[in-house]
Amino acid sequence: MRKLLFLIIVLSKISDVIAQEFDMSLSYKYMYSNQWDKAIQTYNFSRPFITKKQPLFIHGSNASISYMFKSIKKLKHGINLSYSYYRSSAQNENLKNILNLHFINLGYAIHFDCLEEMRGIYTELIISTTSSVLFRNINGQPFLYDEKKAKAFGIGGDLNLKIGYKIKFKSQSVFLPFIALGYTPYLFSPNTEAIINQTKRLTSKNWTGILFAQIGLSFHLK
Amino acid sequence: MDRRDFLKQSSLIAIGGLIIPSTFLSSCRKKSLFEKINYDGKVLIIGAGAAGLYAAYILKSKGINFEILEASTNFGGRLGKLEGFANFPIDLGAQWLHGKNTILGDIIQKSNTVISLDESNSVYWFNNQLVNSIPQNTNIFDGDNLPDVSYKDYAIQKGLGTEYKYIIENIAGDQGASASRISVFGNNKDEENWSSGLDDFKFEETFFDLIDKQIASHVKDKIKFNAIVKQVDYSQTQITVTDSNNIKYYADKVIVTVPITILKSGDIQFIPALPNEKTTAFSKIGMDAGMKVFLKFSAKFFNQNIIGGSICAAYADDSIGKSKDDNILLAFIMGEQAEYLTSLGSDIAITNALLQELDAMYAGQATALFISSHVQNWTTDPFVRGAYSYSTIGMGDARNIATQSLNKKLYFAGEAMNLNGHHQTVHGAIETGYREVINILNDLKK
Repeated sequence: MRKLLFLIIVLSKISDVIAQEFDMSLSYKYMYSNQWDKAIQTYNFSRPFITKKQPLFIHGSNASISYMFKSIKKLKHGINLSYSYYRSSAQNENLKNILNLHFINLGYAIHFDCLEEMRGIYTELIISTTSSVLFRNINGQPFLYDEKKAKAFGIGGDLNLKIGYKIKFKSQSVFLPFIALGYTPYLFSPNTEAIINQTKRLTSKNWTGILFAQIGLSFHLK
Repeated sequence: MDRRDFLKQSSLIAIGGLIIPSTFLSSCRKKSLFEKINYDGKVLIIGAGAAGLYAAYILKSKGINFEILEASTNFGGRLGKLEGFANFPIDLGAQWLHGKNTILGDIIQKSNTVISLDESNSVYWFNNQLVNSIPQNTNIFDGDNLPDVSYKDYAIQKGLGTEYKYIIENIAGDQGASASRISVFGNNKDEENWSSGLDDFKFEETFFDLIDKQIASHVKDKIKFNAIVKQVDYSQTQITVTDSNNIKYYADKVIVTVPITILKSGDIQFIPALPNEKTTAFSKIGMDAGMKVFLKFSAKFFNQNIIGGSICAAYADDSIGKSKDDNILLAFIMGEQAEYLTSLGSDIAITNALLQELDAMYAGQATALFISSHVQNWTTDPFVRGAYSYSTIGMGDARNIATQSLNKKLYFAGEAMNLNGHHQTVHGAIETGYREVINILNDLKK
């Protein structure tokens, strides 16, 4: 927490110096993907010997930072970088299986402050590229292939629409609670299924569409 | 805005904007595959090898009615166990776990089964002497743009002379094939799909024990032994399966898990006849002769692995990975070498041929120290007739065609039907077992 506060202060000072704006946000992120579900469900289906089933990738966390080019107009734009993390963990006797899924998005954000009569509501559209990496861990040990940590990559595009509300506490600090919905057409690397379920071609497709729903809080620094 | 208003407005945004859509999405989301299975039909599984047993295990876990018909008197297919020959149990069939990144790897973890990495060293019988290394690199069968020719021809193309013949035979033998029949291109394609890991492991007990205790134990009571299936009539809504005793079994779905040799031979009559495309595909999948001979000696005079014999291209110390250390040498014989030894006509003749070769390698010690042998000839087993499947020259898409189900009634599993590059393996057979259960359930939804 101390480190986070330190980071916010440093970023605030940097933004003062270069006279630009930063938005940082932390959020809860809900994910829905038919193909991810199917891969994990196949793992569960094919292993009657496990009593505690592997949970689906549903609940994740997200941290994001936007660097906005300063503008006096209601429309601002800038660069957005975000990181999301999902974990699926099942502890069975002698078999603790954990799947870790990381997403990194880099994109372009367009921020629009709504009219005065809408009392501080803003919208933000973020178009970004997304890349992901999946790891598996069994009984505390990384899942290995050829003595190297097995990993599966993915790549896609992401369209994210955010609606939030500005709450000013001090003249220079603004808190922005927000909700967002996103859609990501996404291409798996072929070994994704091999890492989750140790098979290939069983779940048939190597692409999927992912839906995201998000709620969080942004900190606006300028 | 004060703190109270802030919290109130944030809560409203959360409820309206996120929780409602999330709840909607969650309600659409099934927590498990085939969550509700209301299937009261019967599934008949032909063959109680690894694929059949695992398919049965899955069916049982889903509460689906099934029965297994097994032609022999034992379950396990090409897995088997010999006790009493040595002071450790011996695997008569599949012996090595080829990579742990499999469903079996998870079973092994869960059941605390003891396995160990096989790190044994090899010597080569090369130009009539045992050497620790050979002059030329024989690792030539991996890479891009490989031709669809045999290992034997490709080795010649790459300048490996006749002195490498049985070294190459050993490499092909690992794939259960003769060097003159297995395709460089086909096998390389298979290996590109391989994802289970590159290490080989051995069991302190046996592979058979793992399958017996962890899988077969759940379904043994549903196996009907000595049921040699002769006919599968899938022309009517209900499938009728007839065995050699003319006993009829009725089912809604049939999973055929018999070895590819049995499908090729036409021993099972299908009504209506299988499409030509399918029988052609069967004929293109290779499966050569294979046998394991266990030689017991009074002292250990042999190396851990001996590669390149003209009678047997691969000998291995069978005590590796075991907690006891009787002097057992395994002769692992595939393809043309297995055909030749089978042609000798008796276990004694086979044993003598092997001892003669070992005598040449170890200055007569083999015959002098020999105690007894056990020959497990999978080629002469009427319900197996070979080792395991491999990719032949010009095989193309045969494995994929062979695997396709027919009329949503007949499904094909077994190691030869694995499309993940895991054919030839027990875990590959298991994958096909549950794949076909998934295919059945998918067909029921359509």
